[in-house]
Amino acid sequence: MPMLRKNTRRAALALSLLASTAGFAAAEDFVLGLATGQTGGLAAYDQPSLAGLKLAIDEINARGGLGGKYPVKLEIKDTRSDTAAAVQAAQELVDQGVNAIITPCDADPSIAAGQITQGAEIPTFTFCGSTPTITSAVGDFMFGTYPADNAQALVLAEFAAKKGYKSAYVLKSADSAYTLKLPEYFATAFEAAGGKVLEQSTYTMGQQDFGAEVTKIKGLNPQPDVIMTAAYEPDFPAFIKQLRAAGVTAPVLGSDGIDTPTTLSLGSVADGLVHTTAGFAVPGSSLEAFNAKYKQATGKEPDTVYIANGYEIGLILDAAAKVAASPRGRDLRDAIANLENVEGVTGPITYKGTAGMPVRSISLVEVKGGARSLVEAVVPEAAKVPAP
Amino acid sequence: MDLLLQHVINAVSLGGTYALLSLGLAIVFSIIGLINFAHGELMTAAGYTIFFMLAAGVSLPLAIVFAIVAVAILAMGIERVAFRPMRKADMTGLLITSFAMSMILQAFFQNAIGARPRAVAMPEALSGVVNLGSVHLGIIPLMSISITVVALVALNLFLKHTVMGITMRAAAEDIDVVRLLGLKAGRVVATSFAVSGVLAATAAFLWVAQRGSVDPLMGFVPVLKAFVATIVGGLGSLTGAVAGGMLLGIVEVLAQVVLPPSMVEFRDAFVLGFVILLLLVRPQGLLPAPTGRRS
Repeated sequence: MPMLRKNTRRAALALSLLASTAGFAAAEDFVLGLATGQTGGLAAYDQPSLAGLKLAIDEINARGGLGGKYPVKLEIKDTRSDTAAAVQAAQELVDQGVNAIITPCDADPSIAAGQITQGAEIPTFTFCGSTPTITSAVGDFMFGTYPADNAQALVLAEFAAKKGYKSAYVLKSADSAYTLKLPEYFATAFEAAGGKVLEQSTYTMGQQDFGAEVTKIKGLNPQPDVIMTAAYEPDFPAFIKQLRAAGVTAPVLGSDGIDTPTTLSLGSVADGLVHTTAGFAVPGSSLEAFNAKYKQATGKEPDTVYIANGYEIGLILDAAAKVAASPRGRDLRDAIANLENVEGVTGPITYKGTAGMPVRSISLVEVKGGARSLVEAVVPEAAKVPAP
Repeated sequence: MDLLLQHVINAVSLGGTYALLSLGLAIVFSIIGLINFAHGELMTAAGYTIFFMLAAGVSLPLAIVFAIVAVAILAMGIERVAFRPMRKADMTGLLITSFAMSMILQAFFQNAIGARPRAVAMPEALSGVVNLGSVHLGIIPLMSISITVVALVALNLFLKHTVMGITMRAAAEDIDVVRLLGLKAGRVVATSFAVSGVLAATAAFLWVAQRGSVDPLMGFVPVLKAFVATIVGGLGSLTGAVAGGMLLGIVEVLAQVVLPPSMVEFRDAFVLGFVILLLLVRPQGLLPAPTGRRS
């Protein structure tokens, strides 16, 4: 049957053409493109996020793919933590026709890459970028996964109000969106809750020496009831050491950036410190089970919650692919935007009714004696969250 | 008055750390005319050595000594592998080699040890305070001032009273003449790298004691500060490097203190603006080397 053979050949040719435009994918593969910083300054965030995501993808593929239907192929590009390289990588991924894209754990490269993926109508996630303007600056194809800065700030401000703190000193840095905006959201929420911000002062990231700021705080009369900052390593340890050395005893509130082993190694200066985090593994929690699973799979101790967050992106895509009419474009975008209570390892994750930054629980933990304990886990009330 | 004393201590302690760093850059520059941008990675290597030693249960003083020795050897190794083959190259070639070395070491740290910062648990006593009346003096600033003084005195003795030290000073004046006199130039260069390694490791300890952790990119900021300080002080001049480091520390603390809160975020712009003004008045830096070499 020459006719049929010819048709088959044509079909094969068409298929292979189709495959070549999709890069390498077979018909029903779901290609997840990553333009993230696996080397350079963002590697500390993007590497663990990728490790978690890979674990999720392995499990999902073992179950037959996203939604049981679409086996996932990862197309990983390293941006060297450079924003221009992130844009270029995103463009290459768009040209390959990938189904979804993941951008780095930072606002600048995510917004820049998002400009391209939004135009190409490809659903895009930032790995753990938490600046709420990431989604508002890009558009309806951009999604966050990590608890947003303004939500964290609200949780901290409500905690401060509940503790009866009336006045606050806020330390921020204009060197990154996270270190600048989170304290500003805190100031807004704290004043909305009836508190008073005495002063907002700034530091330079990596400056190492906080002597001048600390001497200034020490000179305040009256002393603030609480000091709030979103500084993280290496700035935060240097700050709190010098603060306590100067004899300032006001309690300190921090954000999820200090959810690291270093904070616990600081000794007594960190005692009483309260900070937010995306998830805290209390005994019997799914996060604890995940951490055990990760250790078994990789042989490494999970030292940051970014691993679990990367894993949850896999779960979110899986949940969306189950209900999406097709695994790409507007269908996939709509499916993600309507997700409610996806069972993540840190708690339920909801996109329905948000502008792309999910509603999810945020844990408040207290540091004491080189260990953390859970103060409370809260799902922030959407109406009270400061506007981005 | 108390507040003033506190600010002075802050300024001198920060300036002292910068002085150690810029001295490490200057000592190599004075001999072979190279600004070694991998100097920051020598610090990182010292930080990791302290981290691994402490994790293995070694006491802190021993870990510091070990880090100093290890990094001095590493610095000589880098000289041997990367810079010696480039000895005949021009300034640009050497500079690019040092950038390459810096990136290679960063990538090595990220892939071999990990991208996440590692906590270096310093003894509780280091976070302590000495109370002088109403003035609280942190142990770490006091330590960084005294370590800086000890390091500077030791280096001075070495340069003035040992044969190798005197040879190094001669080489800084004119390395070709040193060669003609039958002294081994290669050994002089290697020693200058070893000394820069010792200074980098010493500064790294002070740096890590403040920040409590070590990460692969830790060396970037300090080497930048050291570079500015050596330029301010006068390239190739050792006393200049110390003066430049001190001045930079003092100006940074001063800017933080006197600028109104709304301007503090532009602190670095003011500091670097001051550096530019200073260079307009003294293009060779504060205390330039007599040979006036510039890259």
